[in-house]
Amino acid sequence: MDEEFEPKLLYILCSWCGSGGSESARAHGLKYPANVLPYRVNCTGSLPPVHILRALLEGADGVAVSGCYPGDCHYEGGNYHARRRVALTKAILEALDLGEDRLWFRFVAHGEGRRFVDTAAEFNDHLKELGPNPLNEITTT
Amino acid sequence: MKGINLKSDDANAAARGLLARGMEAGLWDAALVPARVPAGDSYAWLLLRDAAALERTTPLPPVMSVSGARALYKLARHGTARRVVAVLRPCEVRAAVELYKREQLPLDDIFLISMDCPGAVPLKDYVEDPEAGEELFGKMLAGVEEPGREICRSCDHFSHTASDLHLGTLGVPEGNVVVVPASAAGEAAAEKLGLGDAGPVAEWEAEVEKRNASRREAKEEAHRALREEAAGPERLAATLGRCIGCHGCRSVCPICFCRQCYFESEALKVPAANVFARAERKGAARLPADTFLFHLGRMAHISLSCVSCGACEDACPVQIPVAQLFGLVAANTQSLFDYEAGRDRAEAVPTTYYREEELAYLSEPYVEARAPEGVGADG
Repeated sequence: MDEEFEPKLLYILCSWCGSGGSESARAHGLKYPANVLPYRVNCTGSLPPVHILRALLEGADGVAVSGCYPGDCHYEGGNYHARRRVALTKAILEALDLGEDRLWFRFVAHGEGRRFVDTAAEFNDHLKELGPNPLNEITTT
Repeated sequence: MKGINLKSDDANAAARGLLARGMEAGLWDAALVPARVPAGDSYAWLLLRDAAALERTTPLPPVMSVSGARALYKLARHGTARRVVAVLRPCEVRAAVELYKREQLPLDDIFLISMDCPGAVPLKDYVEDPEAGEELFGKMLAGVEEPGREICRSCDHFSHTASDLHLGTLGVPEGNVVVVPASAAGEAAAEKLGLGDAGPVAEWEAEVEKRNASRREAKEEAHRALREEAAGPERLAATLGRCIGCHGCRSVCPICFCRQCYFESEALKVPAANVFARAERKGAARLPADTFLFHLGRMAHISLSCVSCGACEDACPVQIPVAQLFGLVAANTQSLFDYEAGRDRAEAVPTTYYREEELAYLSEPYVEARAPEGVGADG
């Protein structure tokens, strides 16, 4: 794979635990790759799949989604709904062979700065291995 | 399964007779049935309040010009306060059930009758040459010709559905139509109508199962072939490349009920700077934009409720196999949640609930401190 390739990674975080994880990372002086673009939503349960699809069609090499752990959602079940929607989105991408492994989902708690930076770094490595998102090459999307 | 025999050698005549008897017996105040349009080149849905007017209807028309679920939705989305009977194809019943489950179509006063469906003739072909269309449909009914529409050829839900009464014609000896009550309301109606003795239900069931098995195989094969033709960014681009963005597929979709469609909303009306940025990134930007997003986004919105009725494909002016693409995706998304659109009125749409212990595999296995060099705590 091209050594120079630096993926564009959109990391969608809920405003409670996901973003909290990134705040904890800052508090502990942990770093994540600079090409990761954090994108904050109120609750991952409020994230429509079209936003994920739009990101993958218009420039992102990968999209990661992190919300609260099971039982921790500030709106009771938003994280569970998000998990279903991510599964649904992955099923669409899989059926049409559009790279379902460019979409990740992982719970991150408010205090888990380490888990947040690790996930960002791990996903970044994973995307480097996958290479550029071929959807970005298509001008007629 | 219980059954009642209607002595008739014509499914349409049997259905008309059943409707007339029901209206005369006071079971229904009105009937929603297709009838051939005056020019003879298509069929339209009519609401009839008079049993005598049923004479000119065709309960099972050769084409699906508009999904019956859509016609029913237009009539009954806020309730009818009158008892309406609608004769629908099985896929139309399933779409109506999906609308019901999405709280868009109250079915309290609606009585659904479905019929064994031999498939439909492509709408464009029929409009161009109605006589040839009628001839093809006759052969499809007789079982000597495959369904005209591609999507119907791999349909494995052409019979018994979540309707109240089902009229079965497959596999039964000539001169018989089997009436199968499929709900409590259906049982009550059958009793009130005093329909005859049990008919050749066993023969009908055997034939349906036999055809279903071969259709399931055909579906698998169709999906395999379609993946070869249209899956992957390049090939999907080749398939969707000719989309003109008319959104006709969405307009005719029985499931697409939103008052404000995301794909018509301000969210996608981007400033020129956004288009320039896309052009710079990719070398060129297509206008109107977001062709892929429209189709994939619609799959995210409705593939769980897609019943593969084929209305989208009939409507497409540039012959994109929309229904087949949606069918391929729907098979994947519905099986993910062990769901089948329109199967059961009591089965909730998967996006409306969740289970705590599910999809655990989705959370990628995490190993503490797998961070690569240069990432992590400051020294």
